[in-house]
Amino acid sequence: MRKFMNLFKKEIKELISAQLILSLAFTVILFYFIGNMAKTEMNKIGGAKDIYILNLDDSDLSGEILRNLALANFKINLLDVKDRESAVDFARKNNINLLLIIPEGFGPSVLKFQPEELEVYSFIRSFSVSTMSDTEIVKQLIGIVNNYLSDNLIRNRISDITPEDLKNPIKSRNFIVIKDRMAEGSVTDVANFVYFQSIFIPIILMMVITFSSQMVLSAIAMEKQDKTLETLLTVPISRNYIVMAKMFASGLIGLLSAGIYMIGFRFYMGGFTGSLPSNTQIEGVIDKLGLRFTSSSYIFLGISLFLAILCALAIATILGALTDDLKSAQSAFLPLMFLVLIPYFISIFSDINSLSLPLKILILAIPFSHPFLASQNLLIGNYHIVFYGILYMSGIFVILIFIAGKIFSTDRILTMKLRFRGRRSGS
Amino acid sequence: MDVILDVENLKKSYGKVSALKGIDFSVSTGEVFALIGPNGAGKTTALRIVATLLSPDDGRVNFMGYDVKKNPERVRENISYLPEEAGAYKNLTGIEYLRFMANFYARDEREVEGFIRRAEEIAELGDRLKDKIGTYSKGMVRKLLLARALMTMPELAILDEPTSGLDVINSLEIREIIRGFVKEGISVLLSSHNMLEIEFLSDRVAIIDSGEILEIGSPEELKEKYSVRNLEEVFRRLVR
Repeated sequence: MRKFMNLFKKEIKELISAQLILSLAFTVILFYFIGNMAKTEMNKIGGAKDIYILNLDDSDLSGEILRNLALANFKINLLDVKDRESAVDFARKNNINLLLIIPEGFGPSVLKFQPEELEVYSFIRSFSVSTMSDTEIVKQLIGIVNNYLSDNLIRNRISDITPEDLKNPIKSRNFIVIKDRMAEGSVTDVANFVYFQSIFIPIILMMVITFSSQMVLSAIAMEKQDKTLETLLTVPISRNYIVMAKMFASGLIGLLSAGIYMIGFRFYMGGFTGSLPSNTQIEGVIDKLGLRFTSSSYIFLGISLFLAILCALAIATILGALTDDLKSAQSAFLPLMFLVLIPYFISIFSDINSLSLPLKILILAIPFSHPFLASQNLLIGNYHIVFYGILYMSGIFVILIFIAGKIFSTDRILTMKLRFRGRRSGS
Repeated sequence: MDVILDVENLKKSYGKVSALKGIDFSVSTGEVFALIGPNGAGKTTALRIVATLLSPDDGRVNFMGYDVKKNPERVRENISYLPEEAGAYKNLTGIEYLRFMANFYARDEREVEGFIRRAEEIAELGDRLKDKIGTYSKGMVRKLLLARALMTMPELAILDEPTSGLDVINSLEIREIIRGFVKEGISVLLSSHNMLEIEFLSDRVAIIDSGEILEIGSPEELKEKYSVRNLEEVFRRLVR
């Protein structure tokens, strides 16, 4: 054990380089600034927005529209110009983003149900989120006023039917059923809620796998490039210890790096989601459906993540053993990266159950697919699928570690080479 | 003198290329035995097999009663291998590197300290041992590696081109270090292109070419046998 710890400490010292610390610090700072910028933009959406209005009507209805705009957190600025052209010209010259023109005779015409047009001018000077959302809010507001007017007309003309019943004679209630649990609610809202709750899991997994694999690959490639491997292989220590020390040290540093990146990522995401209010109605539906991680689901998820990392490390160790130097290690990392990215994107953008059988088998054959799918399966209560995934990954890990051990315990570690196009083989 | 290393009918191929075609030699306790030959003759392959890095296809390599193929762990405890183009971990300081290597051989911390003290004396790098290896010159790295190889007083030091790529002064210093340790009872198996070095260091030499040993004997015996003034001429006569 003393010899193993000696190796493990050396690996850690080798991996924690100034470049690694600098790159981690730089990324966290970068994410922090991007997050802050995003937060400022989001606050702009939530805060009072300027709207400039040329009111040529001056009726009760136009007054009502202005009051509603003020309620929708718009700061009303009335323009003192005579016509449309002057208003547009004024807005253009004064960096105004949003201009509303209420035409003359708007109120009386609308009340007589002779459609009139409000003119909304959006002056685009950037494609920021806040600029685009202002126009949307005005549009929604006009929709609300339209509804209000048509509802009033219906109430006045047909007194025995409510406007709601007249406009929507067919009603629907939405129920979500998961196994033996049922709740009334919108499936889209629930899906969105679950997505945002578990969005970090595939990102964490992808980061940890990527960092750890890259580190173990580089660690072995560096031993070869710096000609230290031959000496290391002749010291009195088990070759399995050499493999394990590299894997565990890389896994640990990979985990730490991913953790630090995730802190940065939280700053970044916090900029977008931090100001969003929580929806107690959806929370109730979620509770009713049992779509919460329990302690047992966390244990399953943890085991699944851990095994995926071990599989990645074992594959990276094998690939590292077949490389000559850092350059060839980078090329060897690509196939592993794809094996991680494929299930990552499928877990985010698609449903594995909707894939064709051969494609489904192919995806499930990739060990990293299982933890990506585990979070959803655990929420739905499909523990057996997660369990099979854990069994499968355990089997794959045993095979991979056996191969890695075999390569390191024989002279294949020095004689086997991956051949990359345009590169000479080592021996 | 007792035979510490006995190599019989050693064969090794890389695919279709036959690197060793059945070589025999032995090294006695306290002896410096050199393998000399042109590039690709099979010297490094032979050293790597003795150092347990490569597995022989056929033949037998017996070190202190242990078969290198069957008991590589026991062999590794008593040998030290210095590869031709060996490097050291650039992120570690010289002292950290020596401590790291010493920990594999020492039974306790006291022994580790003893190994490090000996290595400091061999390397003669002074305070530079506290610096990162990445800042060392090639000569300094080679001295550090030689110190690492000898600090544990192995039964057999396997040195592949110990002065490869070094200037005259550094080469001389390294030869003196090796010679000094041989006097303390270490056996040495080495390979080199430098005939002057071989004559200076070796008790016996084997001239190897295309995976076969052409001649074995002491430098004096070989010079007398071929009626020449130095080993270089023996080499030229045998390897054409």
